Amino acid sequence: MDVLTDGGFLWYLNRATGLVVLALMTLTIVLGVLVHRQVALPGLPRWGTVGLHRGAGLVSAVLLVVHVVSAVVDGYVRISWLDAVLPFVAGYEPFWVGWGTLAVDLAAVVVLTSLLRGRLPLRAWRAVHLTSYALWPLALAHGLGAGTDLGSGWLLGGVVACAVAVAIASGVALAGRRRARPPLERAPDALAQARAALASGRPAAAVRNR
Amino acid sequence: MTAPPLARGLLGAGDPSLAAHRAAHGPLPAVPDLAVLAGDLTGRGGAGFPVARKLRGVAEAARAAGTPAVVVGNGGEGEPAAAKDAVLLDRSPHLVLDGLALAARAVGADTVVLAAGRRSLPGLQRAVAERGAPVRLVELTDRFLAGEETALVAAVDGGPPLPRGRAVPVWRRGVQGRPTLVHNVETLARLALLARGGPATTSTLVTRHVPGRHGPVVDVAEVPLTARLGDVLALGDAQAVLVGGYHGSWVPARAAAGLTLTRDGLAPAGAALGAGVLAALPADRCGLRETSAVVSYLAAESAGQCGPCLNGLPRAAAGLELLARPGPHPPGLLADVHRWAGLVVGRGACAHPDGSVRLVTSALRVFADELAAHAAGRCTATSHAPFLPVPAGAR
Repeated sequence: MDVLTDGGFLWYLNRATGLVVLALMTLTIVLGVLVHRQVALPGLPRWGTVGLHRGAGLVSAVLLVVHVVSAVVDGYVRISWLDAVLPFVAGYEPFWVGWGTLAVDLAAVVVLTSLLRGRLPLRAWRAVHLTSYALWPLALAHGLGAGTDLGSGWLLGGVVACAVAVAIASGVALAGRRRARPPLERAPDALAQARAALASGRPAAAVRNR
Repeated sequence: MTAPPLARGLLGAGDPSLAAHRAAHGPLPAVPDLAVLAGDLTGRGGAGFPVARKLRGVAEAARAAGTPAVVVGNGGEGEPAAAKDAVLLDRSPHLVLDGLALAARAVGADTVVLAAGRRSLPGLQRAVAERGAPVRLVELTDRFLAGEETALVAAVDGGPPLPRGRAVPVWRRGVQGRPTLVHNVETLARLALLARGGPATTSTLVTRHVPGRHGPVVDVAEVPLTARLGDVLALGDAQAVLVGGYHGSWVPARAAAGLTLTRDGLAPAGAALGAGVLAALPADRCGLRETSAVVSYLAAESAGQCGPCLNGLPRAAAGLELLARPGPHPPGLLADVHRWAGLVVGRGACAHPDGSVRLVTSALRVFADELAAHAAGRCTATSHAPFLPVPAGAR
């Protein structure tokens, strides 16, 4: 038990899970945009993108639990179980830990609604799911402020790369949303495309339904 | 369009006024249990769902939800080949309004809506004003899917007329989220006749298309369900009959003549009465060309929401357009059309893909000889004048 309760181990576990969760959340967001844009990844059917998005999200949620538990159990800093759910009241770095708590709360709601997706109105699920875009900056702010590793060195480079990836993905999602045609205008276009494709002998490209 | 003068029938004598309606049918009697009275009456919008089950389902759902139900009369006849609902609304609006009143009482509805195309509305406004009935009239767009149950509910709620899927059926959550009874207008008119003791379940309205000297002749008639198709429709030199409309199927004329119009009578030929369209394709036309025009129209009318429909129907339509032209076709094109048609079945929020490819596969079956002729570079048709009506732009 020594190795588990020893401050050093929990401290390393907490830092490591924090870093991996940030990377996995980035991956989840990028994959989520690919799901929304109906992109098939090389070598995978299109539902493979959905599976990866779901898997990355769930693994990051599990690691997030480890991250929170290790922070609370670690006696070196004063973070209680209440701080894990209620933001801005922690005994250690209340401001920066608070951002993390907010992110944890949001993540819990996003994961729960996704697990119950089949039983929820689609609109409710979608509204909650869109808060993921707020979740990521909260987590990043928490990592930069409360964390001890992200501010410098090669990890800073990694954080910048993550931020660029999320920014590009968000831009793609927004642009796609703006470009999406009203449903009733899509079918005539699809028919024209299918005619052109058959006339030229090439396979017709998939027409998006969003 | 002409209709036989059946004074006690659904189409009346041609005078749509309340006075003529009362003179012909008398007052609307009180009905203790409409579901019992409906008996084995089936819906006449296309799906043929038992009316009694729908009535009981909505009444129960409304009781369970503790909210009054909504009743919607569906006069949305998006099908270009069908005219029976418009003719019925034109000639006997008060039978439909009677049916709405009966249905509203039976399911405990406090809101009554009648949805119809633009051309039907002036007459309906007059009829509603004549009786002072609290019926809300809703104008539907001319799209093929405007009368699809869930698209209709969306339109009544003021949104775009898009099918929304059947995960939660409209009899549980429809207009304003309340249990909603949607009945085709002919079904409602039949309920009004049943309430007066008429034998309303044994006949049906059909829209007939037969060749005439100056193009196709279209009329609407009330015919017994047990009648043979050959007696209902002048087959003449027809090569095939389109049964059910644009979501229906082709049946070779020889096989069609002896069929009766009941569900069991049409089933052996792989057909159903659907929207009540019967069209006798004359021998001098190309069945593939006619079907291709219809299918291209259907593909363009997809609501664009479900991937299989949005991607499958245009491919099948474009493939059929090539097959409808004589000349060498790309190798494997026929197999591709079959494959695309098979891929969309059961994968839409509504039955549009299923119905559209039903027409495609029946055409490929019934006009197999013509397919072979086209592959050999010739078409057996001697006239290319359009027979089936397709809105401008699709042909």
